[in-house]
Amino acid sequence: MAVTGRFVLLVALGVVPVVAAGVTSADAAWLALVGWLALAVGAGAVDLSLAGSPRRVALTRELPDRVRLGETVTAELAVQNLGRRMLRAVVRDGWEPSAGVAGPNRTPLRIPPGERRRMSLGLTPWRRGDRRTGEVTIRSAGPLGLWARQATLAAPGRIRVLPPFHSRAHLPSRLTRLREIDGRTPLLIRGQGTEFDSIREYVRGDDVRSIDWRATARHADPEAPGTMKLMVRTWRPERDRRIVIVADTSRTAAARIADEPRLDTAWEAALLLAALASHAGDRVDFLAWDRRLRGRVHGASGAELLARMVDTMADVDAELIEADWTAVPGQVRRVTSRHALVVLLTAADSPGSARGLLSVLPQLTSRHTVIVASVADPALVAASRERGSLDEAYTAAAAERALLDGERVAAAIRRLGAITVTAPPHELPPALADRYLELKASGRL
Amino acid sequence: MTVTAPAPSAAPAITPTLRAQLRRRRAWIVIAVVLVLGALVLLVAQGGLRAPGPALGAGNPAPAGSKALVEVLRTQGVTVTEAATIDEAVDGARRGATVFLHDEFGILGDGLDELAVTAERLVVAQPGFEALERLAPGVRLAGVAGGPLDEVACDVRAARRADALSDGQRLLTVDDAAAATGWTGCFRDGDLGYAVVTGPGTSGGEIVLVAASTVFTNEHVDEAGNAALALGLLGASAELVWYLPSPTDADEAAAPTIGELTPGWVSPVMVLAIAVVIAAGVWRGRRFGPLVVEQLPVQVPAGETSEGRARLYARSGARTHALDQLRIGAIERLAALLRLPRPADVAAVAEAAASATGRDAASVERLLVSDTPAHDREFVELAAELDRVELDVRRSIRPDSTHPTDSTRPTDPTRPTGRRP
Repeated sequence: MAVTGRFVLLVALGVVPVVAAGVTSADAAWLALVGWLALAVGAGAVDLSLAGSPRRVALTRELPDRVRLGETVTAELAVQNLGRRMLRAVVRDGWEPSAGVAGPNRTPLRIPPGERRRMSLGLTPWRRGDRRTGEVTIRSAGPLGLWARQATLAAPGRIRVLPPFHSRAHLPSRLTRLREIDGRTPLLIRGQGTEFDSIREYVRGDDVRSIDWRATARHADPEAPGTMKLMVRTWRPERDRRIVIVADTSRTAAARIADEPRLDTAWEAALLLAALASHAGDRVDFLAWDRRLRGRVHGASGAELLARMVDTMADVDAELIEADWTAVPGQVRRVTSRHALVVLLTAADSPGSARGLLSVLPQLTSRHTVIVASVADPALVAASRERGSLDEAYTAAAAERALLDGERVAAAIRRLGAITVTAPPHELPPALADRYLELKASGRL
Repeated sequence: MTVTAPAPSAAPAITPTLRAQLRRRRAWIVIAVVLVLGALVLLVAQGGLRAPGPALGAGNPAPAGSKALVEVLRTQGVTVTEAATIDEAVDGARRGATVFLHDEFGILGDGLDELAVTAERLVVAQPGFEALERLAPGVRLAGVAGGPLDEVACDVRAARRADALSDGQRLLTVDDAAAATGWTGCFRDGDLGYAVVTGPGTSGGEIVLVAASTVFTNEHVDEAGNAALALGLLGASAELVWYLPSPTDADEAAAPTIGELTPGWVSPVMVLAIAVVIAAGVWRGRRFGPLVVEQLPVQVPAGETSEGRARLYARSGARTHALDQLRIGAIERLAALLRLPRPADVAAVAEAAASATGRDAASVERLLVSDTPAHDREFVELAAELDRVELDVRRSIRPDSTHPTDSTRPTDPTRPTGRRP
């Protein structure tokens, strides 16, 4: 049961008869008070008995399956009145706070018996993963709107919120660079691992070293008899290489750097790399790992790859456990037995936490090209510069120590034959993509 | 998404119905009812529900009444009459009776003077300020006694017989002028005052002031010498008039009370306001369905390790160690800036930095290697000086960029990628 503001107003209006009666005698005023309160409560009770039942209601949800973080969707809820009385209801849908319901989430509905009305809520989720609602609360007021019946009904619903992929802003420029490598522009790319593509006429700007003299000898210039056309070989970068992205979801991924958890940065970087690599014709596999496999995308390509990756990533959050790196080479071997580019998205910033990674790195580098990508903390660099007071000087020393540790780990990783990519959160995805393009151009995949 | 069934069925309710709620909480409801009933029974059995009756009422058997004393006096042959008005009390006094007066609310005004003139013997329990002013100027209220009193300190017979009074007495003081007119105190509590004061009335009668009402109450009359004092004071004559003033004895000239001045509707409107507040509380306080739980993922600020380490340095005063961290970082960055081969000799770095900035090579080397900070201020100065040297070197190499960037750290995203001609 609930009381409305109208009932409070009705009780407050009792001051008029009480004062009017009290002018003559105090007893009459008391009588008026008791009479008015009885009247108000009686009216409320009658009103309550005439209210439609909030329990005899059928609920139907229409929800979009997926939404990208930061976008707004409309969640529809159809409410059907199964009772015999008019339902004058206020409806609240029990979405999680992070589902980001727009407005106060109180929808007034008037539903005649047997009919059905549709209400819609704008949702702007602010956390990725599954956002759920468990129940719908209906407050059904009587015809006078004094007292109301209230009941909570089970009506589960779910929206999957996908990672935002902000770093797709970097994709067009990287694709342009990829096309440059790909020989689709007149500029030629040559490297040790690239494959022969075709022979075409020389244009100014081409590398003279790539002129094919035998082909030139075979091509007489029809416009100027006796002269030859200069022919050059073109090369294209390898295709169909394998890329295995391993994201570390252990406790180090829970660290928040520059207001973004490491894990979210890892998702951004993985998505940009996957989009770029699938455009370049490489096959991408994705693993999310701490002590067990938290998510895996295998054998998908093109648009399906990204869709499956965001779907897998949506529900994975960092866990407070230490990563088990010894099983990672085995996981990579299960994906591919050929040479591959293995990208480890982890935190390589202190010798203590990187020990597990360093111990298995030789196994990976002996078979694959390995990139270790980790997020650098820009706050540390800033802190190491502030030396005005005693506290700041100590903080600067500690920050310097952390930076030196990070560099020591990076040096150890490089010594073991892997490539390191370290950048602040917003720069890591493009930095990783650039390093990939660099490797592709030099044919080291 | 719920699948739409052809015949829609009502969604299952989570809120229990009123009946289910009653059934579920039956045990608690029964316990509450038993507790309330038990409390009521106890109250009735102890007489707590009855009105307490007037304090020191002659027929009041409650702890604060005086029925015990009055009944004992009656069995001793004293005629006790209860006076309802001041006129009855004065009539009794004229007949020669002892008058017992307990003016709890200080109602009597001129009536006091009348009694003082007529009564042969007037016993006043717990006199108020006005009563003292009228009956015994010079006798004043002096607070509460510290414990039982057993120093009789006077020649009054009743007091001598009583010998001691129980705890809970109040005190009166007698000033010199009053003492000169015949006022004496009994039951002294050190220098603080007396529990009982006697003296002459205006027309030769005797007035006894008992500072506390404790002596006469049913609750305390049997303690120490209370009963002896009370019987001695009140049973001296054959008749006793027991007078407790009521509001009808008040002076007609006194001002009307607030209750008489306010109009009749004020109290009902106050009650109505309370009802409105309760209704508004229910209106705003009723929750619209259960709270929704949000499952939050773990997130840790990354800077905590470094901050913790800084506090450890500060607490242990590890100035040299902290400075060494800054030095190692600075040497590495300087070596990279000055394009020195790795691993570079510290002396070589110092020399190159000195020549780039125009400083003294020896002082730069001391700064980079050997200076030991003796106190905190020196540590801060050395740390700042390291930063200045680095900044100067940077400025001397690239005059356009004075802001240090982390370009010496791995991966510069603006670096041109592998484009080969």
